[in-house]
Amino acid sequence: MSPVIKRGGDKFTLPSKYLLFILTILCTGLIAITFNTSVFNGSVNSVAATFVIPMQKGITTVSTYIKGLSDNLASIKALQDENAALRQKVDELTNENTGLEQDKYELTKLRELYSLDNQYSDYKKIGARIIAKDAGNWYHSFVIDKGTDNGVVVDMNVIAGGGLVGRITDAGPDWAKVQTIIADNSSVSATVLSASENLIATGDLELYNEGQIAFSKLVDEADKVTVGDKVVTSNISDKYLPGILIGYISTIEEDSNNLTKSGRITPVVDFEYMDEVLVIMQLKKTGE
Amino acid sequence: MRRFVFTFFSIIISFILQTTLFRYIDFGGIVPNLLMILTSSYAFMRGDKSGMMVGFFCGILVDIFFGSYLGFYALIFMYIGFIIGKFNKIFYPEHILLPLVLIVTSDFIYGFICYVLLFMFRNKFDLDYYMIHVIIPEVVYTALAAIFIYPILNSMNTRIEDYEQRSAKKFV
Repeated sequence: MSPVIKRGGDKFTLPSKYLLFILTILCTGLIAITFNTSVFNGSVNSVAATFVIPMQKGITTVSTYIKGLSDNLASIKALQDENAALRQKVDELTNENTGLEQDKYELTKLRELYSLDNQYSDYKKIGARIIAKDAGNWYHSFVIDKGTDNGVVVDMNVIAGGGLVGRITDAGPDWAKVQTIIADNSSVSATVLSASENLIATGDLELYNEGQIAFSKLVDEADKVTVGDKVVTSNISDKYLPGILIGYISTIEEDSNNLTKSGRITPVVDFEYMDEVLVIMQLKKTGE
Repeated sequence: MRRFVFTFFSIIISFILQTTLFRYIDFGGIVPNLLMILTSSYAFMRGDKSGMMVGFFCGILVDIFFGSYLGFYALIFMYIGFIIGKFNKIFYPEHILLPLVLIVTSDFIYGFICYVLLFMFRNKFDLDYYMIHVIIPEVVYTALAAIFIYPILNSMNTRIEDYEQRSAKKFV
């Protein structure tokens, strides 16, 4: 009798340590493969879509409903409606304001050199509902209920409430995974509108509880950037469309190298209470 | 067969609850780690092999939806399931206290591994902050959830074991 395969009764059983060994190799192999390629995306996504997504959709609908019910009990419904309407108005105005400010900037600084013809309010967008959020507590990604069937593909930008939420990092037939800009592993190339200086906005778990994201590598020799300045996605970002509002600078400090500055940005999107998002159905053209 | 179906559905349901319902009743953005409760409980009740397999599938499910690389969480969950499963032979699973301690320990280890692999390797050394704001709250919330979930899993397990013994006797 071989030591590897024991005969237990009349069926074969594999000792657990060998099984552990096999599965470890399998996992390590999978990590190595997915690190370098994306061969599994299609098959794995469809498996997930058949089993899990329909149930997640259902439960999210029910819990949103129940939460809505309890909210109604807790507060007055009229106030809520009014709040929603006002919030929508604020979103609209924020959107419009960004557009206008950008127009102004464009007019005064660039006149007829070039025109920012594609503002994000003109892009074709599709609404999507958030059906699941990250299983762990480390990163902040979520799953939406639109996928490749609706034309959503990887790297499309996601916005909500007039500001940038993140981008699609994975897409199945009827679901897509969104990585948010507040996630600790995300970085966005951005521009300060007033000074047209570029910076890098990075999500940070330590700042997340304060509702802020960090920025760094801001070159601002003339000290033009001040607290409260608008930060939008930059032209040179290879994933994000230009001119999407990220937030406002809340603190700013000089780095020890005396060349660059870093600090914090308060995002316009309220990531805690986000139920619906908009996916911009246009990819950034990078000329590749 | 019955056991397989029950295990399969308990994994799927835990995952779905963790990503949907518990996201609505979170405390300060922290959700309990139901999948870790499941992995530890199965490992403790059924032994290292079951713990390992349940851990593997829980992890793979997290990987598919929220992981950057397929197999990363599967590996962590699987090893935790395997190690907790070693306690199966030493203790009886009826009393709640010991499984609870094991669940808490495994969730703590899970949090710590996540911190080391995902954050410390990226030069984020502020362990105190991550301990206080992520790992400890998650462990506490998980322990609270486990108090309610473990007895259910245990009674289901006993029921299935009875059923299996009865059907085994028929063939003797």
